[in-house]
Amino acid sequence: MSRQLITLIVNGDRHQVPVAPHDTLLDVIRDQVGLTGTKRGCTSGACGVCTVQGEDGRAVLSCLALAIEWDERPVTTIEGVASEDELHPVQKAFLEYGAVQCGACTPGLIMTAKALLDQNPDPDEEAINEALAGALCRCTGHIKVKIAVREAIKVVAASTAAEGGQGG
Amino acid sequence: MQLPPFEYHRPASLDEALATLDRIGNDAAVLGGGTDLLINLKLRLERPAALLSVRELPELAGVSVDAAGTLRIGAGERLTDLATHPLILARHPGLAQAIRAVGSQHVRNMATLGGNLCLPTRCWYTNQSENWRGSQIPCWKTEGQVCHVIKTAPNCRAIHSADSVPALITLDARVLLRSSRGERELRLADFYRDDGIENNALLPGELITAVLIPPGRARSVFVKAAARTGLDYGYATLAGALTGSNRAPKSLLLVAGSVGTVPLLLHKPAQIILAQGLTEASIEAAADAAREDLGEVTNLFTPPGYKKRLVRGLVRRVLNDLRRQKLPDAD
Amino acid sequence: MAKKGDFAVVGHDQPRLDGAHKLTGRSLFTDDVVLPGMLHAKVVRSPHAHARILHIDISAALALPGVKAVVTHADAPNLYVGIEQPLFRHEIVNYIGDEVAAVAALDEATAAAAAALIKVDYEPLPALYSIEEALEPDALLIHAKARGNIAWQLAQDLGDVEQGFATSARVRTDHYTTNASHNCYAEFHVAIADWSLPDKLSMYTPTQTAILFQKSLASALRLSDGQVRIMNLNTGGGFTGRTSVRPHHFIAAVLSRKTGRPVKLRATADEEFIACRAGGEVKYTFRTGVSETGRIKAFEADITFDTGAYVESQMIVLTLTSSYIHSLYKIEAARYLGRLVHTNNIPYYFHHGGGLAQMAFGLGQHMDALARELGMDPIDFHLLNGVTKGHTSMTGTFFGSCGLAECITKTAKQAGWKRKYGKLPPLKGIGIGVGAMASGAKGVFKHDTSAAFIKIVDDGSMSLFVGLPDMGQSSHTAMAMIAAEVLGARPTDITVISGDTDIVPLDVGALIQRGTFNTGNAVKAAALDARKQLEVLAAARLGVKPAQLVFRDRQVYPKGQPDKAIPLKKIVYDTLHSREGRFVMGRGFYNSPKESGTMAYSFGAQIAEVSIDPDTGFVTVERIVASHDVGRAINPRIVEGQIDGQVFSGMSQVLYEQTLLENGQVMNPSRLDYRLPRSYEMPEVEHIIVESIDPFGPFGAKEVGEGPIVCTLPAVANAVANALGEPVNEMPITPWKILQILGRRAKTGA
Repeated sequence: MSRQLITLIVNGDRHQVPVAPHDTLLDVIRDQVGLTGTKRGCTSGACGVCTVQGEDGRAVLSCLALAIEWDERPVTTIEGVASEDELHPVQKAFLEYGAVQCGACTPGLIMTAKALLDQNPDPDEEAINEALAGALCRCTGHIKVKIAVREAIKVVAASTAAEGGQGG
Repeated sequence: MQLPPFEYHRPASLDEALATLDRIGNDAAVLGGGTDLLINLKLRLERPAALLSVRELPELAGVSVDAAGTLRIGAGERLTDLATHPLILARHPGLAQAIRAVGSQHVRNMATLGGNLCLPTRCWYTNQSENWRGSQIPCWKTEGQVCHVIKTAPNCRAIHSADSVPALITLDARVLLRSSRGERELRLADFYRDDGIENNALLPGELITAVLIPPGRARSVFVKAAARTGLDYGYATLAGALTGSNRAPKSLLLVAGSVGTVPLLLHKPAQIILAQGLTEASIEAAADAAREDLGEVTNLFTPPGYKKRLVRGLVRRVLNDLRRQKLPDAD
Repeated sequence: MAKKGDFAVVGHDQPRLDGAHKLTGRSLFTDDVVLPGMLHAKVVRSPHAHARILHIDISAALALPGVKAVVTHADAPNLYVGIEQPLFRHEIVNYIGDEVAAVAALDEATAAAAAALIKVDYEPLPALYSIEEALEPDALLIHAKARGNIAWQLAQDLGDVEQGFATSARVRTDHYTTNASHNCYAEFHVAIADWSLPDKLSMYTPTQTAILFQKSLASALRLSDGQVRIMNLNTGGGFTGRTSVRPHHFIAAVLSRKTGRPVKLRATADEEFIACRAGGEVKYTFRTGVSETGRIKAFEADITFDTGAYVESQMIVLTLTSSYIHSLYKIEAARYLGRLVHTNNIPYYFHHGGGLAQMAFGLGQHMDALARELGMDPIDFHLLNGVTKGHTSMTGTFFGSCGLAECITKTAKQAGWKRKYGKLPPLKGIGIGVGAMASGAKGVFKHDTSAAFIKIVDDGSMSLFVGLPDMGQSSHTAMAMIAAEVLGARPTDITVISGDTDIVPLDVGALIQRGTFNTGNAVKAAALDARKQLEVLAAARLGVKPAQLVFRDRQVYPKGQPDKAIPLKKIVYDTLHSREGRFVMGRGFYNSPKESGTMAYSFGAQIAEVSIDPDTGFVTVERIVASHDVGRAINPRIVEGQIDGQVFSGMSQVLYEQTLLENGQVMNPSRLDYRLPRSYEMPEVEHIIVESIDPFGPFGAKEVGEGPIVCTLPAVANAVANALGEPVNEMPITPWKILQILGRRAKTGA
C-alpha cells in the first residue's frame, strides 16, 4: 500500500505522518501521533467518542474522516483543550457538576460541548440538545452533562463580558 | 471496523473530476462528507477501487439566487451550513427542518447535500458487517434472489431515508447533473427509482453539482418521526409545501419519506385539502385518506401496520403546522 | 446521630479525584495500551444458530503473511469458560456467534483477513428460537444434560403459601415479558493478555471485579491465583455486565501463550452484543393475595428465562429475585418458581439492574394494578405493605435502617401526587415506582471481604490501596473521602491505588452494591489503624489521651481546643523520623458478621410523569422525582449522578432499548440501531436524598449503585399505564404498541 507523507497539525504541533488513503483521522491521531485521549468507539459515527474539532471549530467525527484529507489542516483534540495550568471552562464545569463518570465518552463530550460554545457562545436549550445528541453517555444519562454545559456557558459569557468591559 | 484499501483522488476542478471519473469509471465512489460512504465501506457493502473526493471542487460550492429567483444550492455544501443558511431559513423553512433532521450535528458538520441526495437505501438485513451478513441467505442487494423484508418482492425494497429529499420534492426542486458529456437537469421527483439497489438515475461518470429550487412563496413543513430526535433514521417522515391561503390553497405537495424505496407523493390528502381548504375537519379527512396512497410499505425496523398509522398522524401534524405557519417573506 | 456539620469531608460535594485526568484525555483505558510486540486477534464465530461442524481448515489463514497463530478447540480441549461451554466448539455450535477459532496477527486488518480465510464446513441443524419452542414436549435437546431444555429450576416455598392465598380477600394474577437488552457501555469489551512467559499471565481489561477475573482465569488455565495479574486501568462503564470473564479474555490468553507475545482482542460493534451476552427474553407471572384492607397475604412469582445457548448469570438472578420482594414488602408467605430454558439465542447475562430492575417492570405494575383493583391509592398500598426499620423479614434480614416511607411521602409531596393522580388530562400520566436494594450481600465466596491499606509519607500525603474498581461511580473518591474524614486529611491529599491484583488487597469488587458499604468499612478501619499509629506521638505532644484527639482539616488537636493544633504533616513527619523508626501504614478489613445475606438495604421511590403523542405513539418522560435512602450520602452530588444514570437506563429500558432477535440473529447490533435515548429525550431529575444513617455502614452509608433503577422502571411503566388507561405488559413499551392500543380504543369508542 502506497503511503503519502502528510502534515497533521494537532493542537498546534506539526506532525509529519505517512498515511494510506484508508487510514482514518482517528487511527492516525491515536496510533501515529500517539494521542489516545480521542477514543475509539463504534467507529461508525453513532457514539461521538472520537469527536475532534476541525479548523472551523466544528465537531468532527474522526472515525469518519480520512487522514489524507487533513493534510495541513489544524485539528484540536482533547489534549489541546486545557491550557498548561488551567482547565477549559467546559472541563471545569464537567468536573464541578459531576458530568464525568466512567470517562470513556468524556473526551468526545468535552469536544462536542467546546465546539458548541466556540460556534455559539450563547446557545439555548435546543442548541445544547442538538449538539449533544451526537454523543452518547450511558453513565450520566446526559443529565449532569446538560447542567455542566449550561454552567460553562454562563462562565464563558461572564468572562467575555469582562473582557469586553476592559476593552472599552 | 476498518476501511478496506482504496486509491484516493482529489481533483481541483470539476472538469478534472469528470475526467477522472471517466477514466476509473464504475470502480470509483464519490466522497463528499463520507459520513455514510465510509460506514458502508467499513461494512464492505461497497468495494470501490478508488474514492474521488469532491470536497475542494469550487463548482459544487455556494448558495445563491439568480435573476429569475431560482435558488441554487451547491451539492458540496455542508448540511450544517444549509440548515442555518438565512436564505433557506427565510424561503423554505421546511427544507431547513429537513436538513436539520439528517444525522446528528456531528454528521451534518461533515455531510454534504449531494451526499444526502445519493444516500443508498438502508435495510437491516444488509447494513451489517460482512460477518453478520454471512449468517443470512444473500438478498437482492447482496447478489441473491430474494427480499427478506417482502418475501414476494421482485427487487430490493430497502428504505430510502434521505431526509432532505421529501422536502426538496415538495418544493419542486431539480438536480443539475454533470458528466464529461455535458449537463442535464432532472426533477428530483424523477431522480429516484423504485429499486433499492439502482435507486437513482445517476449515469456512470455523472456527478450532482447543484440543486435548483424554483421561485415561489410557499409555506413548508417537515416532520420526522424517529425514536430519538438526534441521530436516528426516521420510522417515517413527511414534508409538505402549500401555496395560497388556508381557505383557498392553490397547490399542496405532501411527500412521505422512510416508508419505502422511494419518497412517496401522497395524492389523496392533498386533493382533499385543495378541494376543502385547510380546516380542522378537512385535516382529519386528509389524514384518514393517506392510507390509500401508501400501498405496500416496507415494514422494516417497525412491525406491520405501524407506518400506516404513523403516516396518518404525520399528515395531521404537517397540515396543522402548515395551517399555522405564516407565508415566508417575498424572495 | 452525627450531623453533616460534624464532618469535615463526608457529606460535602467532592469532585471526583481522577476528574481532571478523565477530562483532559490523560486517563488510559485498555484500548489505549500498546505493549511491545503486541499482536491483534480476531475471532471466527458461528454463522449458524445450531449446526454440526464438519471440518475446519485453517491452512489458508496460517499461510497469510503476518499471521502468528490460529487456535481452535484442538489448542484448548480442556478449557471450559462456563458450565457446559468449552472455549472453542468443535462438534456443535449452539448460537450465532459461538466461538470456533481465533487468529493473532501483526495488525487488526491482517487478523481480520486471516479470520475470513478460515473455512468451516457446517451441517445446519434445526434450532430453537423461543421459550415456547424449547418447551414443546418433542423439542430437540440443545444440551443432553438439560432435560426438556431446562437448564436449572427453582421451587421454593416460604411460609404457608396455600393458606395465604386461601385466606386472601382478593387474588390477582398478571403476566409480563421483558425483552433482551444490552449494557451498551462506552468502552467496548477488550482484553490485552500477556502470557509470553509461562508462569505469569498479565491481563489488561475493564472489570467490576478483578479478583473474580483472576480466580476464574487461574482455575480454568491451571495457574495459581498469584500467577494471574489483572490490571483494570479504567473501566468504561459496568452496569452489572463486567462481573465475570468471557470467552474473549481466554482467547487473548491462549493466543498469547501460543505466540509468546502480548495479544489484544477488542470486540467489534456487532460482537459487543455477543461478548456482552445481550440475549434473554424473560416471562414473569406474579400472583398476589391481599386482605380486605390491602395487606399482602401471599405472593407467588413464576419466572422463565430464555437463557440462550449457555447458562451464565441467571441462577444468581433467580436466586436474588426470590429474596427481592422481602426487601420491599412485609410478606407472610411466598413461593418462587423459576426455570432457565435453553434456546439457540445469545446467552443471557446481567443487564443494568441485575435482573431485578427488569423484574420490577412487571412487579411494580402488578402491585399498582392490585392497588387500583382495591380502590387504593398506590402510595397508600406501598406505605401499608412496605418494610420498616426494625423489621426482620422471613428470609432473616434485619432492617437496621429504612427510609422507604420517608422516600414515598417526600417524593409524592414534591411531585404533587395528590393533585395529579387520577386528575390528569388524557394521554398524560403519572406513576410511582418503589424499590429496595441489597447493600452488600454475601454469596460470591464464603466471605464477602474487602481489605484496604493506607500508607502516609513525610509530607502527609497518602496512598490508599483498594481492590474496589471504579467504573465511573466515583467509588475511589468516596473511599478517599472516608479515609480523609478519619485522618483529618483532605481527599486531594490521597492517591487511590487500584486496578492491579499484584498490588491491591483482597476485594470482592464492585458488585451487589457492596463498594461503599464493604470497602468503605474496610477503608475506615485502615484509616483508623493508621490514625492509631499517629496518635502515639500526637497524644504525647499534646499531653492528652489518644481518645481525646481530633484529626480534622490537616490538623490534630485536643477535643475543643483547636488553638492547640499541630499540623497533621508534622505529626506524620515526626512519627516517621522518630529514633525508633516507626511506620505509618494502616490496614483494614471488613467481612459482614452475617453468615449469608445482607447487612443493609437502601430504599427509594420515584414518580414519573409522561405524555403520549397520539400521532406517533411516542412517550415523553417529562419529569422524574427521585427520592433515595442511601444511608448517608458520602458525596451528595455524586449520589445524584448515580441516580441520574439509573433514571436514564431505567427509562431507556422501558421505552427504547431492545436487542432485536430474529432466528437467533441480533438485528440491531450497533450504537445507531440499538436505540438509547440521548440529550433531547432526557428530562430533568429532581433528587431528594434521604439519609436513614445505617448502624452498620461507614458513617451510616448504604448504596446507590442499583437502588434507583429498580424504581425507575415501574415508575415509568405505571405512568404510561396511567396515561393510556391500560397497562402495557411487555418491555419495551414501543410506539407501535401504543398506537395499536389507541387505534383499538378509537374504534371501540372506549
